[in-house]
Amino acid sequence: MSSALRTPGGVLGFTLTLLFIALALAAHIVAPTDPFASVGSPLTPPSRAHTFGTDDLGRDVFSGIVHGTRTSLTVAFAVIAIASGLGIAVGAVAGYRGGSVDDVLMRGTEVVQIVPRFFLAVIVIALFGPGLDRVVFVLGLTSWPAIARVVRAETLSLARREFVDAVHALGARTPRILVRHILPNAIPTALVVISLNAASVILLEAGLGFIGLGDPRSISLGYLANNAQRFLRVAWWMTLFPGAAIALAVLGLNLVGDALSELANPRRSGRTA
Amino acid sequence: MSGRYLLRRLAQVVPAVAAIVITAFVVIHVAPGDPVLALAGQHGDAAYYALIRAKFGLDRPLPEQLLVYVANVVRGDLGVSYVHGRPVVAVVLERLPATLVLMTAALIVSSIVGITLGVTAARRADRPTDLIVRIAALVGYATPSFWLAQIAALTLALGTGWFPVQGITDARQAWTGWRYAADVIHHLALPTLVLAINELALTTRLVRTGVLEALATDYVRTARAKGLPERSVVRHAFRNALLPVVTVIGGRVGMLFTGAVLVETVFAWPGLGQLLLSSIQTRDVPILLALFLLVSLAVILTNVVTDLAYVWLDPRIRYE
Amino acid sequence: MHRGQRWIVLSALVASVTAVTPAWLHAQDTPTRGGTLVVAISADPGHLNPAITTSGATHTAAELLYNGLLGRDERGDAIPDLAESWTIEQAGAVYRFRLRNDVTWHDGTRFTSADVKYAFEEVLLKFHARTKASMGGALAGIDTPDERTVVFRFKQPYAPLLLQLDATEAPIVAKHIYQGSDPQTNPANAQPIGTGPFKFVSYRKGAEIRLARNPGYFKKGLPYLDELVMRVIPDPGTQVLALENGEVDFLWSVPGPDQTRLKSDSRFRTAQTSYHPGGSNCIMTVSFNLERPFLKDVRVRRAIAQALDREAFLRQVLFGEGRVATAPISSELSWAHARGLSMPSFDRAEAERLLDGVGWKKERDTTRVARGVAGVSDGARLAIEFLHFPAFTKYGELMRQQLGAVGIDVTPRPLEPAVFAPTVFKDRNFDTNVISYCNGPDPEIGVRRMYHSSQIGPAPFTNAAAYRNERVDTLFDLGGRTVERDKRTPIYRQIQEIVVQDLPYYWLVETPTTRAWSARCGGFKEWTGLFAEAAFCKR
Repeated sequence: MSSALRTPGGVLGFTLTLLFIALALAAHIVAPTDPFASVGSPLTPPSRAHTFGTDDLGRDVFSGIVHGTRTSLTVAFAVIAIASGLGIAVGAVAGYRGGSVDDVLMRGTEVVQIVPRFFLAVIVIALFGPGLDRVVFVLGLTSWPAIARVVRAETLSLARREFVDAVHALGARTPRILVRHILPNAIPTALVVISLNAASVILLEAGLGFIGLGDPRSISLGYLANNAQRFLRVAWWMTLFPGAAIALAVLGLNLVGDALSELANPRRSGRTA
Repeated sequence: MSGRYLLRRLAQVVPAVAAIVITAFVVIHVAPGDPVLALAGQHGDAAYYALIRAKFGLDRPLPEQLLVYVANVVRGDLGVSYVHGRPVVAVVLERLPATLVLMTAALIVSSIVGITLGVTAARRADRPTDLIVRIAALVGYATPSFWLAQIAALTLALGTGWFPVQGITDARQAWTGWRYAADVIHHLALPTLVLAINELALTTRLVRTGVLEALATDYVRTARAKGLPERSVVRHAFRNALLPVVTVIGGRVGMLFTGAVLVETVFAWPGLGQLLLSSIQTRDVPILLALFLLVSLAVILTNVVTDLAYVWLDPRIRYE
Repeated sequence: MHRGQRWIVLSALVASVTAVTPAWLHAQDTPTRGGTLVVAISADPGHLNPAITTSGATHTAAELLYNGLLGRDERGDAIPDLAESWTIEQAGAVYRFRLRNDVTWHDGTRFTSADVKYAFEEVLLKFHARTKASMGGALAGIDTPDERTVVFRFKQPYAPLLLQLDATEAPIVAKHIYQGSDPQTNPANAQPIGTGPFKFVSYRKGAEIRLARNPGYFKKGLPYLDELVMRVIPDPGTQVLALENGEVDFLWSVPGPDQTRLKSDSRFRTAQTSYHPGGSNCIMTVSFNLERPFLKDVRVRRAIAQALDREAFLRQVLFGEGRVATAPISSELSWAHARGLSMPSFDRAEAERLLDGVGWKKERDTTRVARGVAGVSDGARLAIEFLHFPAFTKYGELMRQQLGAVGIDVTPRPLEPAVFAPTVFKDRNFDTNVISYCNGPDPEIGVRRMYHSSQIGPAPFTNAAAYRNERVDTLFDLGGRTVERDKRTPIYRQIQEIVVQDLPYYWLVETPTTRAWSARCGGFKEWTGLFAEAAFCKR
């Protein structure tokens, strides 16, 4: 992990990501103002009183962004949790058992990978109504294939090693082998996929919010951007800051993913991939 | 490439398509409310509802309903949009060409630019240029497309007057022949630019990785040691780097459709993206389902084509 | 007469001619012939038959292709269109229209009274929601004694007829095109034949509609424009950009944030109007579901009303474009709008006092709890749901803020129109909501349906509050039967006085729209669907 930090990309990525996570966790401390409350006169530019200005209802944009980031990251985290759970389970079983089990599971993975997540989310929300839980559910159930593949690859390469045979001969049972020995090795590569996935979830959620399918009860970055569209010409701060927040969060996560990827597959060592 | 492989690959399409159709079916029936209302709208009269019930077999047991649905889909009958008052397939096919044109243009532009940037970054790996290119590409990916679209419209259209902000063609003049093509390209410029910027990061990253990996292979080191000109070495690495770009086109198609939804709306481009948004507002479920099926099918087919192309490009790979 | 006197007579003559010429004609320069007008519309119309629907999208796109028996002038009064004159007989139970004899359909066929009879009986009264709802029950029959005469016979005197005969409320479609077919599926809906100033050229779905000048239009000399193109541009911001970029010449509505900028830009002209092809003279109205126990007490409704700062709604949602509603009937219907009513005033202290008086007490929580409120169990929180179209999200947010300040917890619930209508009118599953109730050209058309007890039912946008008041019912019935306007005014005044006391609804703001167009064009009639009949564009 520390060598990944030595690249400038890695540094930038980790900094941004940690900053956003900190903001999300400390949202109520950093921005104690209620993002839904009308605290100033409408459409005022950034000022000392309101760092990012106010929106058309006089609400504090900075507060909206901090709490919106919290919502976006919470959704991303929940999706990752579900997707990781499913992905690790499927990948580990497929890699370990091999054979026809592997075939069937991989076919399933391919199919799920094809499903266009955005369109499915749109249909689900159109039929079930808007809500963060629906978004998390749909995205969680469709984001696990990439994780499954990675875990499967690692499991495949490790499961054949001699030390596994040795441990097995000593009487250790399969699940224990998986959890204690194989999975920990799969984590670094999995993290690459996970961070990239988190980034795309943030973008998807923002996109859904932008077209008005977000959860009306929580402030989200997509909702802020949606609201700001009409005021693009008269209040640039309403659209610039949410847009920048989304961009920076996604950028940070992607740079982290890149840096971890370098770590997992270094290329200048003469080793072919 | 053997005919057997081709057939096997095509056969793999069937379960994928089946799974997509089943997903659509499940979603409709799991949703709260009467499926008839979802498929026929809230304002229909009893006669119309009876018609829809019969067509989709909604009174029969679920497995039978699934078969009816699959049979309908295979026949190309995706129902009728009660909002448009016309068969869904007709409505979708009407808007398809505009989106295809836009996506093809975006795919071409982002491929060319992405490959160029990827090679540049790879050749100057780990130096400032590399980082700048990577971050620029990532910023393009991370910036929401609707935001980019509005900024582009403000600066490149209104600000400079170079490009129009809406439509496929000029409203005042109906051109023909090559002038028509030029008019379309003129209107295509901004939407394509925004879509391509969004999609660029993926291609750039892939090409860069591909070139770097190829450059690190034993073959290349031997070639360099032998004193072969750098240019032919790079060319070899380049060819290998293209392979992942081709493989990933399927995923890119999915991304482009998603991006097109927002870009088409901002630029009033009359394609499927705009249809999706208006169908969301009117809860036109038959159209939403059809679009879901269409995009999935597009991704599946693109994957098949690229798999075949991959095999053709690299004779070392065989999936016997 | 010597020279001085001749001058006086001449100037008087000129002055009187100028005074008589419509204002819109000499507000700008003299019209030029030819040219293309590009109009931005917000949604694809789907089809181009305005007689089978009240959808704003269809009417915006298609009214220029048709005419009604009558039109409307700037003040909203009836003027001749397809009918050149009319008489009212039997105190308003019989209307006799004399039609012009120089009107032809776009395909050359002559227009006759048979078209009018067919259009009403087979199309409008079956499919046009407003016409069906208002005229359908009252009409006894339509006679056509000769080709130039149409007679409407009503069971009782029917007051609003003259104002619901324009292209928005009753466009006349061709018998020879639609006879024998289902008007909803006839292919002419996509390739219309009308009598209007413009004829159909092409329709690219989702993209544009092209119209061309009707050289045989019965109003000689009109239209001036050669071509009219309607572009579908769903995003309002893009519409404004397109206008400023010169790609589009006319906008049906300017978004609030852009109004100041466009108004002060000399390249554009604007005009405010309450007319819209989908529904005119609209008031954003909060409905109270009178079937909910806690809303049955008028003091609660009054408290809610007095907690609302409607000026804030006007400022923040409408950017000042509009008016706070001072009566239940729109001020645009000046003869029916009651002046000087004692509407609830914005008074938070009074609202809190009222709520306390009913038994809603402020305890530890910010939301009030019931202590001895009739029909409500003790300890229940004063939490209400507020349903609205997604487009009206701002109203929800302001409601939440303003009612929250007096201890009412409001949860706004946005619902797409397709879901909103059945939830409110069929299931009646709501506490409060906000609806843009459009009064229409006459209270009989758009106001009656809100208050009359017969209008409680599953049909969308009728009596959402489920308000029942026999006196109000009787007054509406009387108002609909009285033809003379000066006799109708006191009837509607009484109605408004009663409902302001009963508060089944609370009327927030009147919502006019602002049209905008390029300054090189002019001659627009923004108060009617035939807005470009006399429009022109200079090169």
